[in-house]
Amino acid sequence: MSASETTAASRSGIAGLVERFPFLPALVILIVLLALNGWFQPNSLGFRAITGLISTYLALMMLAVAQTYVVYSGDVDLSVGAILSLVNCAIVVLMERWGGGGGAVLAACAVGILTGLACGLLNGVVVAVLRLQAIVATFATSILFTGMALYVLPVAGTPAPTVYWRTYGGRFFEIPFVFYVVAALAIVLAIAVRARLTTQMLAVGDDAFKAFQSGLPVTAIRLKGYVLCGLFSALAALCITGDTASGDPLVGGAMTLYSVAAVVLGGTALSGGRGSVGGSVLGALIIGLISSFVFYVGTPSQWQNLVQGLAILLALMLGILVTRRVRA
Amino acid sequence: MAHLSIRGARKAYGATIALSRGDFDLKEGEVHVLIGSNGSGKSTLCKIVAGSVRPDAGEVLINGKPVSIDGPRAARGLGIATFYQELSLAAHRTVAENIGLPELPAKGGIFVDRDRLKAVAERYISRFADVAGKGFSADTRVEHLREDQRQLVEIMKTLATEAPILIFDEPTSSLDRSQVERFFDVLRELKAQGRGIVFISHRMDEIFAIGDRVTVIRDGETVATSLISQTDPSAIIRQMVGEQGELAAADGAPPAAAAESSETVLAVTGLGGRGFANVSFEVGRGEIVGFGGLHGQGQSAVLRSIFGVSPASQGTIRLKGEERTIRSPREAIRNGLAYVSGDRGRDGVVHGRPILENVTPIHFLRNKLSVVRPGSLRERAAKPLSALKTRFAGYDQPVNALSGGNQQKIVIARWLIDRPDVLLLDDPTKGIDLQAKADLFALIRSLAAEGMGIVLYSSEDAELLANADRILVFNGGSVSRELKGADRTRYNLYHAAYEAA
Amino acid sequence: MSVETAGRAGVSRFSAGALVRQPLVIALVLIVALLALGEMLSPGFASPQQILRLLIVAALLGIVAAGQNLVILGGREGIDLSVGGVVSLSAILAGNVMNGSDAGILPAILACLAVGALFGTFNGIGVTLLRIPPLVMTLGMLGVLQGLLVVIRQGVPSGRAAPALAEFVTRPFLLGLPGIIWLWLLIGVAMAFLLRRTVFGYRVYAIGSNEQAAMLAGVPVRLIRILLFTLSGAFAALAGLCLIGYAGTSFANVGELYMLPSIIAVVLGGTPLSGGKGGYTGTMAGAVLLVILQSILTTINIDESGRQMIFGLTLLVLMMFYGRGRAMRA
Repeated sequence: MSASETTAASRSGIAGLVERFPFLPALVILIVLLALNGWFQPNSLGFRAITGLISTYLALMMLAVAQTYVVYSGDVDLSVGAILSLVNCAIVVLMERWGGGGGAVLAACAVGILTGLACGLLNGVVVAVLRLQAIVATFATSILFTGMALYVLPVAGTPAPTVYWRTYGGRFFEIPFVFYVVAALAIVLAIAVRARLTTQMLAVGDDAFKAFQSGLPVTAIRLKGYVLCGLFSALAALCITGDTASGDPLVGGAMTLYSVAAVVLGGTALSGGRGSVGGSVLGALIIGLISSFVFYVGTPSQWQNLVQGLAILLALMLGILVTRRVRA
Repeated sequence: MAHLSIRGARKAYGATIALSRGDFDLKEGEVHVLIGSNGSGKSTLCKIVAGSVRPDAGEVLINGKPVSIDGPRAARGLGIATFYQELSLAAHRTVAENIGLPELPAKGGIFVDRDRLKAVAERYISRFADVAGKGFSADTRVEHLREDQRQLVEIMKTLATEAPILIFDEPTSSLDRSQVERFFDVLRELKAQGRGIVFISHRMDEIFAIGDRVTVIRDGETVATSLISQTDPSAIIRQMVGEQGELAAADGAPPAAAAESSETVLAVTGLGGRGFANVSFEVGRGEIVGFGGLHGQGQSAVLRSIFGVSPASQGTIRLKGEERTIRSPREAIRNGLAYVSGDRGRDGVVHGRPILENVTPIHFLRNKLSVVRPGSLRERAAKPLSALKTRFAGYDQPVNALSGGNQQKIVIARWLIDRPDVLLLDDPTKGIDLQAKADLFALIRSLAAEGMGIVLYSSEDAELLANADRILVFNGGSVSRELKGADRTRYNLYHAAYEAA
Repeated sequence: MSVETAGRAGVSRFSAGALVRQPLVIALVLIVALLALGEMLSPGFASPQQILRLLIVAALLGIVAAGQNLVILGGREGIDLSVGGVVSLSAILAGNVMNGSDAGILPAILACLAVGALFGTFNGIGVTLLRIPPLVMTLGMLGVLQGLLVVIRQGVPSGRAAPALAEFVTRPFLLGLPGIIWLWLLIGVAMAFLLRRTVFGYRVYAIGSNEQAAMLAGVPVRLIRILLFTLSGAFAALAGLCLIGYAGTSFANVGELYMLPSIIAVVLGGTPLSGGKGGYTGTMAGAVLLVILQSILTTINIDESGRQMIFGLTLLVLMMFYGRGRAMRA
């Protein structure tokens, strides 16, 4: 009971703000990064550069959201990248097979989303119902999903239909399509915060046994978290397909760990119980901005990964330390 | 409304029998008190009804019909709501969310109906508004609340279910008098509405203030049920301790207070820190100093701060006359201190590990060992283990296979392979059986006779009266009275404990 | 906490504790069964030479898993995701230091172990002093290591193993077994000694099982935990060194193949991710099991996708035998 004497009234100020909006430290880091980018390369704050940043990192934003929904209840999903790969391959192959027209694209997307849901359901069954350890169990399912992706599309390269990536990279009423997606995502997430399930997942993450004693259906709640995670992983796949315009059975491999990093950067506790999906979106953007910043300051190409890695590690540590300091 | 009965409920955890025969009967419109010493099986009985513990045997009947309670959710469906002693709150959620958590009001089946949630929460908060203290509101997160305020939230959460059967497992342990009275007002209303209420408390005055009937549970068995109006505290205590307990207490005539003139091994002056202030006392060689008073009045906090767990912010500690600053348990151990916590599950037992590993860590540290020689360790551990009459199959047996009392003996034995100068006992007999208690106190007295200085905090007055040379009664974080010699009576102890409460 | 709750926690741990010895048995039975299955599918699979080759591969994984095992035993969600990066870094470092000459072996060993231990110590410090969750800390460190690899390699594979090292890893050394297998057995014995016969080992179990109790019993919790991460880095580095002996030269991010498998080997060996119980003998069996399983999948005539799917499913089925979490209701 560290804050025993602190009353709600006195918890205004920064502490209160961070508590209500756990993504605030992430927002500050994001703004600082934006400013730094702008300082070194004014063009980087231009409309075109921002559009580029978003279309590249929209998939990671979605994937980070996906990861957040399992982290809320104290779980983790190391298969999000593999789900993304599988859905990417599935829709690209289906779109090609069905002729690549508008109807085919929509139908393929629907199948992709169903695939994501099914993958999430399997993860949920394995972790929540069968009670396997989340880290190793979702690693095993990630191998399974990668295998399925390879089955659907053994080698990378099948292109997505033109109509698909033109739409993703295109504009409507002078506004890039990805902005609509971001807006839609923002609205959906803002609404989702009010969902009963969100509160229940956070309560489970706080202390699963106490939530159980309170009469919450803990298994079902965790299961739903994994299903949501599968859904958003599939949406991430739709985005990455728009960005890369092709199918690649290994495209998501490296993204899983970035999704975890984005969640942590966004101020969500891996132990569960507190955090925000919005923070995870910011976390994904931070990762994007760090790599563009490393590029803009003119880091020699072979040093870029190292500097980026160090910067992410630093941001992760800083985020955790600041959040803890403020909350203490 | 509903009528609840439990017949022959039984629950064992491995070798530990938590409940051997639970019979209980709750009528509508009554407050039925369940009383028994720590570890007697009250909570297990409650949790069986609450659905969070699966009984090995026995049945639960509601209105005469056998029901199966598969989990807390099923219990809720049957109209049973439970206040959990260890609380069932989500620390990072707000007061309102916690109150509504079991059945979050929904809009469209998907969204939380914030307005209704708030309205429900406010309805219950308003009942306690003037006694809840500063900073208590529907939007406060539970993690920022004081212990008593959290307990109020758990009470509200239980009430908000509007269940016909309410179980309160020690709901008042941290509440102050005004909060308790308000709570009792609410209970009386509920009673008038015909609800059945199970109430657990250790405070005799509360039991007589609110109860209609009382069932006593001892060593996992419900031994008697009587009408409150036809019994009195001493009769209940007799039922709680049983014949054997009476004997043990009478048996333990305190050793002569020869300690007076001897050398001081531990001297504490003006000690202050989180949960206690200005505590001073001395322990002589061969002396047993008791800490008494109601639970949670700073006794544990003082012991833990002396042991370096959370070092004191004020005051000095002298060991054998020399002033020491102890910043960690490691330093405390090096300085000849030993500390045994009653919460062996949290502070003592290295779960799932063999007895040998559980009994040796202090020996390693004090002798700066780096390589383990199991043969010689077994030899060294044998003496304290047999002095405590520990029953175990072998040193490779996992510690959790033992009964609670034997587990605690293992934990105590780890401190006795190399003799400490001062032994700090923090309610060491919590939840262990009578025989183990007797073995333990026999050893403690012989250790004192051999010259060890001992501080004994016990939540059971009888243990203090039977074993301590002097008793310091704690109240609100400091020593309010010292009982010596002939003053050490049950009456004086009881009186001093309740003085300011 | 009353006795009821104490008993609850205690007993479920005990019943799981009784199973500790079983995973080793399960793994050994499965190993034999898989060898028989492999021999049936492809005669010669269980021939001595083949088994030796499998054991070499298993030794590489097993050495990484030794460090992983220690970190996991220490509890508090201990896990080391950076081992893959350390393996790669160490391989490339060893290759460059040796550059094909036997004289470079000793400096390479020292350099690799020092670098691995250094990164491990960084992890340990981040986890204990800064209290960063191990998953996050080692994940971040993995990113740093991967960046460092790019800098060192500058885009081209470089460095060669010393002939003697290659011989040590791949050729019979003593009693027909290659040196690396002897090394692995030695590590197995050393780990068993460390965990069962040293105070350090007792303390590892103590902090992994009940950190609070360990602290109250005077165990230097943070120091022990830092050392566990240090050892994990050193073991991964050692594996990297052996790996270049096995492969001759280092190639891109070779170590990534060891990151999650090292964790799986530990889990299949009967050490749950919650720590505090299990040991290295099981992990060795787990590593062999994992390698045989992968090897069977490569011998049967199906394509990569089918192999991966079967592998993933098999892992899931195997995990059903081990470390399932306990039910909410006791």
